[in-house]
Amino acid sequence: MKKIHIIGLLVIAIAIAVILVSLKNTSTYADFAEAAGNPDKEYHVVGKLDKSREQVYTPQINPDEFRFSMVDNKGNSREVVLHKSKPQDFDKSEQIVLIGKMEGQTFHANDILMKCPSKYNDSKAQLN
Amino acid sequence: MNTIHYTGEHIWAGQTGHFFIVLTFVAAMLACVSFWLAQRDPYYLKLARTAYHIHGLSVIGIAATLFFMLFNHFFEYQYVFQHSNREMQMRYIFSCFWEGQEGSFLLWTFWNAVLGWLLRWQLRGGEWEAPVMTVISLVQVFLASMLLGIYVFGYKIGSNPFLLLREHPDFSNIPVLQNPDYVSKLSGRGLNPLLMNYWMTIHPPTLFLGFASTLIPFAFSIAAFWNQKYKDWQSLALPWTYFGVLVLGIGILMGGAWAYEALSFGGFWAWDPVENSSLVPWLVLVAAAHTMIINKNKGSSLFTTHFLAITAFLLVLYSTFLTRSGVLGNASVHAFTDLGMTGQLVIYLLSFVFLSVSLLLRETLFRTSYILLSFLMLAYAGIYGEQKILLMFWVGASAILTYVAYLRYFPREREEEHFYSREFWMFLGSLLLILSGMIITYFTSIPVINKLFGTEYAPPKIPVYNTWVIPFAILIMLLVAVSQFLKYHKSSPGKFLRRVSYTFILALIFGTVASVPLYFLNDFSGADADGKRELITYALLLICALYAVLANADYWLVVLKGKVSKAGASIAHLGFALLVFGALVSTSKKATISKNTSSRKVSGLSKDFDENKSILLTQGDTLPMGPYFVSYRSKRREGIDVYFDVDYFTRREDKSFEKLFTLAPHVQDNPRMGKAPEPDTKHYLNRDLYTHVTYADLNVDTSKASKDAYASAKNFVGHPGDTIFASNALVIIDSLRSNLSEAEYKKNDSLLIVTAVLKCVDVRSQVYYARPRFTIQKNVIVPLEDRVDALGLKMVFWKINPDEGSIEISMSEKLSNNKDFIVMEAYIFPYINILWLGCLTMAFGTGVAIVERIRKLIRKN
Repeated sequence: MKKIHIIGLLVIAIAIAVILVSLKNTSTYADFAEAAGNPDKEYHVVGKLDKSREQVYTPQINPDEFRFSMVDNKGNSREVVLHKSKPQDFDKSEQIVLIGKMEGQTFHANDILMKCPSKYNDSKAQLN
Repeated sequence: MNTIHYTGEHIWAGQTGHFFIVLTFVAAMLACVSFWLAQRDPYYLKLARTAYHIHGLSVIGIAATLFFMLFNHFFEYQYVFQHSNREMQMRYIFSCFWEGQEGSFLLWTFWNAVLGWLLRWQLRGGEWEAPVMTVISLVQVFLASMLLGIYVFGYKIGSNPFLLLREHPDFSNIPVLQNPDYVSKLSGRGLNPLLMNYWMTIHPPTLFLGFASTLIPFAFSIAAFWNQKYKDWQSLALPWTYFGVLVLGIGILMGGAWAYEALSFGGFWAWDPVENSSLVPWLVLVAAAHTMIINKNKGSSLFTTHFLAITAFLLVLYSTFLTRSGVLGNASVHAFTDLGMTGQLVIYLLSFVFLSVSLLLRETLFRTSYILLSFLMLAYAGIYGEQKILLMFWVGASAILTYVAYLRYFPREREEEHFYSREFWMFLGSLLLILSGMIITYFTSIPVINKLFGTEYAPPKIPVYNTWVIPFAILIMLLVAVSQFLKYHKSSPGKFLRRVSYTFILALIFGTVASVPLYFLNDFSGADADGKRELITYALLLICALYAVLANADYWLVVLKGKVSKAGASIAHLGFALLVFGALVSTSKKATISKNTSSRKVSGLSKDFDENKSILLTQGDTLPMGPYFVSYRSKRREGIDVYFDVDYFTRREDKSFEKLFTLAPHVQDNPRMGKAPEPDTKHYLNRDLYTHVTYADLNVDTSKASKDAYASAKNFVGHPGDTIFASNALVIIDSLRSNLSEAEYKKNDSLLIVTAVLKCVDVRSQVYYARPRFTIQKNVIVPLEDRVDALGLKMVFWKINPDEGSIEISMSEKLSNNKDFIVMEAYIFPYINILWLGCLTMAFGTGVAIVERIRKLIRKN
């Protein structure tokens, strides 16, 4: 067997390893119910800000703690603790993606992605 | 329908632009066909060259027209309206040009055309001119069509930057545009303010020049399949490949520097899909450059060279697809918006895969059946759907046929490469680059995988990339260190090992000594198994990167006797190793110094939830932060930017503070994207202090009058014993006292006075009392307010709910009570200058290598 064949097999082995290992550990998109079923795993939960519930951000006590509620795509609302400062423009967000884990009835997020109103709308508004 | 006669429109400008677009497209087609014919019959060569000149000139014509329109504010055109305005400074006009999709495609087409010109001049009259230029012209046909903006069978092909606003589907039914005189009322929307900096002027053209330069190795490789001269193009293409490595590398690093200097990603590299999809073509191009050298010196790695030259270009197309189709969705912070060209981008990508594979298959039987199969599948997909499954099947078939071609057409090496030969280790290095590129592509493509397989995997986070890439970096650094000391064909093992061991021992000693304080002293004992493994890989990478630095310096200074012109490779490798070294140390030892002082943990989830990254700075207070004392002094507004001046002090022996410097991180109140924080960084030779504001009130109004005013009152319902929170005190409803009993009041209808005794405790436990009163007589209620001036509080007791036994109090605070504050993050990036030094060294070394290759080419002719 040539060296190059051994290397080729190694390459294939590494490729398969990457796919298997990463798929096992990769976070998936889910709703709150699914995240609650597996509290040790990190999930991405997509939803909208629940405007009927209060937002609490008291940086005097802890600048890295922001509490609010989000409605996931199944329509369930849960309290969220974001372990970061309150994002600027938070109230304008159209869609939220939370990254974190469920603990009891509360979702603890270590990161947040927000989708804000699309670029085109405001240029139309300028014309009206 | 009445036709409206619009006044003030510059119709001729758009028509000129569109004329040039059509001319570009047609001339590229003509050039492609006639270069193709010129392959057989040199008679067509003249026509082909002329057509290519016309193509190139009309690309310049399009660009000039667009510039002219931007320059003269022809806002009736959608592109000008969307990307520029009158107030904008002229130096940003280039940025407006390539802010949009169409402009950036134009930029790409422009660079391709320019490189094509240079290449044609290099190859003039030779056997490679016709086939290589055919490929280049064909790519230009595809690119030019991205600007056409015409509809064929209901499908939109390309997006035309010369569309009038009233013709544009997004704007056409807006009432203002029905006004015949609308042009005079228009003002452009302007460039996104976040992009108004010099990075936006230099980063895109560099990156697109890098993208464009991957076209040249691709064109040579395809041309070689075609005229079946697999071996003769490598030395012609090598300087161009180096050029691509240089320019694309600089373009990517500029992006990183931009992110670090002006955007708040919290670092220079965030493994964002947009960053990754330009990094991977670079990795593959670097691998291609190395296999080309192997091929030139030894004749082996022929298939790999072709494969990589083609793949680098296809990956650029794939990158375009990823970033412009909208497929990334939430996964990226800076992808373009979807212009509805997804289908077109996929078709282009697949067309070039198809072209490469069908030209690779030399035998008619294979070629015909592949072409037939592809068209049948395309037709089936067009009629019956099932596109995803067919696509996967077709990609699989293409891969298998590529492998078949490799087995049938490419010479087997007669003997195996010697273990102690330069080519063996160079090949291995290329393979590692490709493998790491594949892994990055796989992770980046997760949104695409989700689309294809209906899965719901989330895009991986930064640590996932780091974990997978670092082992490759360790091995690559080792190869970068030792490979040059080996000769082609065969070296003597003993001599080689002795030669490379000196620097290795040095690196081992220095690296280990450095790793002890960096990774093992404090962090190691406290870490769990994963953390320990991570720290060991960091230490290993540190040693190997140091080894690569020392070994390449050794090779340059001792073996090559310090001669610069011959040492392009050594210098470039040295720079690359420095870059990796700097990236490793500055990222792995990045220290958050803005830890907040509260230690309240709200969850049991400890490891993943770093609750200590922000610091609250109240105006006027001085707090310790890392090695500094910091104080938030003031804020000021300049245009749409709000700057926060934060002073940094050190404490003298006598406990007094000495001011060191001021940093002013700012938040851009961007009308198009919302509030965008931008960092401010203090650069030292051996470290950077990087700060950005994550939360702040952008309202700048510090006048005295507004400070003395009271904010609007807040109402509280409570019983005695309840507590009300003020911003600077706790207000406890101590008791209620009245002058009469309830019975007396009801009997006499006399004046009832109820006093609420409110006990106010401030942060220093100082107690104040407030006694607001509630008076009632003959159903007339008069509330009497009370104030605590020391605390800036005003209370009104205005209602009693006898049924519930509760009272209602409204409290207002002086505006000056709410001292302004900011929430800030601050990081130290140690030794980040090594990273930038590495970038410059690598660029210099690659430049030297290009010059040397060109010199060799000239000498040969």
